[in-house]
Amino acid sequence: MVTVKINGKEITVEDNTLILDAARDAGYEIPTFCYQADLMGIGSCRMCLVEIEGQKKLQPSCVTPVLHGMSINTDSGTVQTARAGVLEFLLANHAMDCPVCDKGGECELQDMVHKHGPHKGRHAEPKFKFHDKDYVLSPVIIKNSNRCVQCMKCVRVCREVVGQNVLGALGRGDHQEPTSFFRAFMNCEMDGNCIEVCPVGCFMRLPYRYKSRPWDLKSSDTICPYCATGCRMVIEERAGTLMRAKAQLGVGLNSETLCARGRFGQDFVNNPERINQPLVRRYGKLEPVTWEEAISHIKENLTALDGDKIGGIASPRLTNEELYLFQKLMREVLGSPNIDSSSRFSPDAVEGFVAATGMGEGGVSVYDCMEADTVLIIGTHLSDENPVIDYIVRRISASRRMNVIIASPRAMKLDSSANIVLRHNVASENAVLTSLVIGLNEGKLADTLKGMHEAQLDANLKASGVSADLISTVVNRLAASSSIAIIAGTDFLRYPEGISGLGLLKDLLKSRGKKVTVMPVLDRANQRGAWEMGVHPGFGPGYSETRKGLGTEGMLDAAMKGELEALYVVGSDVASMYPGDDFARTALSKVGFLIVQDMFMTETARQAHVVLPGAAHAEKDGTYTNQEGRAQVIKKLLTAPGRAKQDINIIRAIGESFDRSFGPKHFALVLDEIRKEVPSYADVSLSFNNKRNTDNKLDNRGALVKAAAAPAVKVKSFNPASVETSGARFILTTGNHLFHSGRSSMKSETLLGLLKGAVVEISEEDAASLGLKSGEKVRVKGANFEAQMTLLTKKGTKSGVAFIAENFDDAPVNRYFRRGGGIPRVDIIKTI
Amino acid sequence: MSRKGFDLFDLIKKVLFTDFVKGLTVTLGYNISKSITMRYPDEEKWIPYRRFRGLHTLNRDENGRELCVACELCSKACPTGCITVIPEENDSGRGIADRVAKVWTVNLVRCLFCGYCEDACPTRALRLGREYELACADYSCTLMSRDQLLVPQPVPESIPGGYVVKSKLERTPQGIKVTVDLSKFKKRSI
Repeated sequence: MVTVKINGKEITVEDNTLILDAARDAGYEIPTFCYQADLMGIGSCRMCLVEIEGQKKLQPSCVTPVLHGMSINTDSGTVQTARAGVLEFLLANHAMDCPVCDKGGECELQDMVHKHGPHKGRHAEPKFKFHDKDYVLSPVIIKNSNRCVQCMKCVRVCREVVGQNVLGALGRGDHQEPTSFFRAFMNCEMDGNCIEVCPVGCFMRLPYRYKSRPWDLKSSDTICPYCATGCRMVIEERAGTLMRAKAQLGVGLNSETLCARGRFGQDFVNNPERINQPLVRRYGKLEPVTWEEAISHIKENLTALDGDKIGGIASPRLTNEELYLFQKLMREVLGSPNIDSSSRFSPDAVEGFVAATGMGEGGVSVYDCMEADTVLIIGTHLSDENPVIDYIVRRISASRRMNVIIASPRAMKLDSSANIVLRHNVASENAVLTSLVIGLNEGKLADTLKGMHEAQLDANLKASGVSADLISTVVNRLAASSSIAIIAGTDFLRYPEGISGLGLLKDLLKSRGKKVTVMPVLDRANQRGAWEMGVHPGFGPGYSETRKGLGTEGMLDAAMKGELEALYVVGSDVASMYPGDDFARTALSKVGFLIVQDMFMTETARQAHVVLPGAAHAEKDGTYTNQEGRAQVIKKLLTAPGRAKQDINIIRAIGESFDRSFGPKHFALVLDEIRKEVPSYADVSLSFNNKRNTDNKLDNRGALVKAAAAPAVKVKSFNPASVETSGARFILTTGNHLFHSGRSSMKSETLLGLLKGAVVEISEEDAASLGLKSGEKVRVKGANFEAQMTLLTKKGTKSGVAFIAENFDDAPVNRYFRRGGGIPRVDIIKTI
Repeated sequence: MSRKGFDLFDLIKKVLFTDFVKGLTVTLGYNISKSITMRYPDEEKWIPYRRFRGLHTLNRDENGRELCVACELCSKACPTGCITVIPEENDSGRGIADRVAKVWTVNLVRCLFCGYCEDACPTRALRLGREYELACADYSCTLMSRDQLLVPQPVPESIPGGYVVKSKLERTPQGIKVTVDLSKFKKRSI
């Protein structure tokens, strides 16, 4: 600890604190352009100059650490003159086209000049210009370098946080221009973090170009509806149109970062294809009706039915309150135990995953995971599925230098931050984890058991395709660390065999006295909330014991046999996500009464008897529970189009048609009921949510849910996933694309502009041996389906693995899968 | 006042109608003096000074490009919120920058002609002009759009104003119109 004097006030701070941080903590404002917490300090903008007693020259406070006994003056006349001078130089070549610039009104340079600046310039020479017209850097970024203040935040965020390294500085001095390689079109992650950090209008959003002014926009602080990272963001609208989404510095677990989906994918709300009135099928055609007619039609058709013959599927993108009311409607009013929240994962796998990752034990902060000595990332393509977690791992691993071990069949951007990368075969997570368990047990066993263990180890190594050396390095690192974080992804749900290995490794490490934190990584905003609200056939709210019912698969089976008389689908597109050719479609057509509640006319909705128009995340209030178990609030900004209603009101209306006292009238009252019914949510409050929290930085611990009272879930063992035995070369894996998440992102115009058609991703070596190049059109041929798509190659992906994202309508990847069949194999043929 | 007998002076005043003539001179003086009634709109019309704050006008530069860059400062400055601006990108040379107004409307019923908008305009695209005949019988004329405001007003900037000109009232099926002849003007003190 050192004691320094700032403006005459004595304060004590930690060693190596920067003068800037110390002064800001003491309550003195120092203006900056280039300083940003978490980014490397470069001291380039000179706005933060302060006077240190005994030193002749002013010092940049953002790169100067405090020394004991320093006396610092942050606001003397010299400092003020220096600031005005810096601003005068910045303005000498600044374009000064504020009326045209999109940043006008929220520009840091404008604010600084207003506050500190010279209000008169002495520069009479013609201004230096980089270029005349703005140029487009990527489908979402447009650039005007004439406005640059050379703070280099964009370059640093691209390198240090996003890890994409596509921006750099051309030129020197005031002619320095941060841009892509010779201003060429960038092939980047399109996440727009450079736009967010830019203090001036140098990097601008192309979709928001010349649309509005910051003072026209009404905003609401909400949560991203795509993946389950739970990024805090502000969405803004003008005249009923959602204009943009932005992140805020120092708020939420994501701070100023967002991914492409979060920043540019919110415009699906504005899509003109939204359903805006309830429809009922009459004489084979869906016809518009009033809400009263639709609800009474539903009541008529559901009244006489046996509860066991009714099913319900709810989307994991609904809020906790809606999901809670949904399961209450199904279980208590309709008397049906058949309820599920996903059409992709089997209920058993979900139960095993919930138990193995310890979701019943309460929330785990991602920053707790980053405190560990070793971070093991397995079962997810983190860089594509949850880009913001990828940023957090990259940023923290760069400064903390903990062990990062990544196990994935596909190469990812985060590999560059990893100490060890395990390229295992598809669906062999169990083999990888079991070989780690065997390795950790080595030397602790009697000689008699050793032989058996070695045989087992060999079998597992062979199954996983990872070399024994790598496994032993990982084992050594695990054994040497006292705390270990395991980040487990959705591949465990796709190939549930790995769940037992995950449970085994966790228990073993715990028994060795190590601190183990397991964080699930999920791909739908409220997937964890859906499970915790009991939208699952195996457990009720708070993982409580309940009457077991059928999952999606069971319901479709029953429907195929004609045993399912009614099905209520909320926001889920079963027909186009369920594996298998026409199975789901045929099964749905045999359902006696199909109610679909959705925003868009999906495949499932086209088959429905009643279609109810729901609302998007921007049109409702509620809470989402992210993958860590953080319950966060989403806030209403817009009104649903036409006669569409918030989902919570629709569910309540159906419930009330059966039972007048069905549900509370307001989402906050539903949350009150959840607090009573679900003990782990007892402390969740709306008041601490979405609050600016500066004291504990990005980590709002208060929002983490508590441990469940008695979770009725257990780790199960599953059969190994089988692979089809056709002679095809590639094993097909699936997941989310970086630019898309589920099907709702396919309704976002901007995201479609980034990537419209399906792509298949294989390793570079495979492509070379097939004589194919990245960007070529290829046919992907499976046993029961083939489609044309664009080939992408990736360096370092396991040979023989092909990846097709599950998001594209033109290449529905579910069609490659056969119901009950193994993991499909595909061939890739060049299109002639 | 007490009566003190016969007053000759008073009698002469009465015989000669002095008070009557005195009073009449004022009336007759007005009768032959110049009329201050402006025969608007049948014969003449007042052309205000340049400082007058009348109907908004959007200007173009010497090359015919719109000066408005749709920065929305006018709508921000407006105390009644009667100006709506929606910008768009257009680099065809329509405006001086590639940012032009897609929508620029002013609600004249709400406008109080304070002139804050023209003060706020950074490109001098927006001026309050000298057009003041804004009355109409329905709501059609209460919203003025960009296309209507871009049409130059009948009184050009070069005319200093502050006088009346010859005018004529025309009744057409579209409505009534006042046409002026700007070449013949006369100074008038009001």
